[in-house]
Amino acid sequence: MEEKLLGLQEAVSRYIHDGDVVAVGGVGRNRSPMALVREIIRQGKKNLHIVGREKGMDFDMLIGAGCVSKVSFALVSLEEFGLAMNFRRKAEKGEIELDEHACNSLITAIRAAAMGLPFLPLRGMLGSDVLRVNKGLTEIKCPFTGERLVAVKAIKPDVAIIHAHQADKYGNVRLQGSPFEDILKARAADRTIVTVEEIIDHEEIRSNPHLTSIPYIYVTAVAHVPQGAWPASCDSYYDSDRDHIMEYAKAIKTPEGFQAYMEKYVFSGRK
Amino acid sequence: MGDYTISELMVVCLAREIWDGARVLQGLYSPLPMIACLLAKNFHAPNMVYFNTADTIDPQPKEVPFSTAGPALQERAVAYIPLWQTFDLAQQGKLDLIFLGAAQIDKYGNTNLSVIGPYEKPKVRLPAGAASAHLCAIMDTVIWVPRHNPRVMVEKVDFITGQGYLTGGDAREKAGIPKGGPRKVVTNLCVLDFEPKTKAMRLVSVHPGVTLEEVKENTGFDLVIPENVEETVPPSKEELEFIRTIDPKGVRELEFH
Repeated sequence: MEEKLLGLQEAVSRYIHDGDVVAVGGVGRNRSPMALVREIIRQGKKNLHIVGREKGMDFDMLIGAGCVSKVSFALVSLEEFGLAMNFRRKAEKGEIELDEHACNSLITAIRAAAMGLPFLPLRGMLGSDVLRVNKGLTEIKCPFTGERLVAVKAIKPDVAIIHAHQADKYGNVRLQGSPFEDILKARAADRTIVTVEEIIDHEEIRSNPHLTSIPYIYVTAVAHVPQGAWPASCDSYYDSDRDHIMEYAKAIKTPEGFQAYMEKYVFSGRK
Repeated sequence: MGDYTISELMVVCLAREIWDGARVLQGLYSPLPMIACLLAKNFHAPNMVYFNTADTIDPQPKEVPFSTAGPALQERAVAYIPLWQTFDLAQQGKLDLIFLGAAQIDKYGNTNLSVIGPYEKPKVRLPAGAASAHLCAIMDTVIWVPRHNPRVMVEKVDFITGQGYLTGGDAREKAGIPKGGPRKVVTNLCVLDFEPKTKAMRLVSVHPGVTLEEVKENTGFDLVIPENVEETVPPSKEELEFIRTIDPKGVRELEFH
């Protein structure tokens, strides 16, 4: 096994490239890989195609910072704090390409990639305008039963970015709470970067292999970043920082407010 | 209205849609459905199975979280089931009900969470419909509407994110989605269902203190109004006590600010 510990900066500069398809871990404001998101922005990555089912501040910030050209999503929202205004502004101006999905068509697209397949069938979606507008979805007939189904085109991530609870130095990763699609994303992607709250001893992994969620074979780099999901939650470690997300929601009402926020919390190097 | 809030009445109305043994999914940003699931399980539906976006089943949180995928929905859960596996159950026909929201809903129960205006050049780009476009095709749904007004309750949605009864009648069958559909719509003014033949939205009950006129004025299309429109039964003392204990911080008020 090869050692995979890297600093956050080096992990991002080495393994995320302009134009990459990037699958982003977590859901809503839970276990979002926010430290990785901020580092991607600091390094000025461009033309990323970001992929995630129900996303919030992570997507909004990447979009607002000009890192993104395409978004595959089923929901982008700050939940009770309102619309993700960077997403809304750029979408309304046509500055980002939208690949709108339902939760399960997006997950199915990732599952197809994880299975090494070009598409997978899905039951559902007929009659929705989402099916009509999405180029990666098309109605098909089951070759065996004739049932009307939907073919979901695979979305193959170049890289998955995930925040997790623990890993050893070889990249054996433990998720201690809600898994979301993070394991699938790691299996589908060519490269996976994981930030973790804690680095644990390799012997601990060996003693409890049933607790390994993502084995080292799927992991490219591990960075030790405590609070790496902040202001999102990380299960048993900390809950989401509602005051901060409220500050963000207020800031993004105008592009100037967003710029000021970014100066203060991202470019000044904090967190 | 009595000594309860509209959010509390809506929670109870949603909970009443959950029968004992039902397998129910609660999604993201779904504070009222989250509390409704917990209420139902603790009252009339102890054998319901509670699936949620924190990827757990049957959690017993001491206090409900603000984010409905938040860590508190893992407390005393039986197991983690990633949402994609819950969707597998839905595709097998083994999930009974999901609660979904809407920025617009029309007379046939189609919902829009995608755009106001034309899709390619929208006036407002909305967050999108999460699970709606998939699940509304294959299972029963209950839609909740915290702001019942003519901008939300429209004759025809700008974009069908979640399938209701499409153009009414047998349109779902023709579209290849014979199963499921919206059972009820619970708003801040009333409870609605769908007339069995035409599938047009029909009034079931009006909340205490709300008039029939108010409901009509706030709806952007003609509702089917049966001869007898009942008054919505208010929450019981025990139900209110449960809601207030499990939600001391007012998560249920999030959509009413």
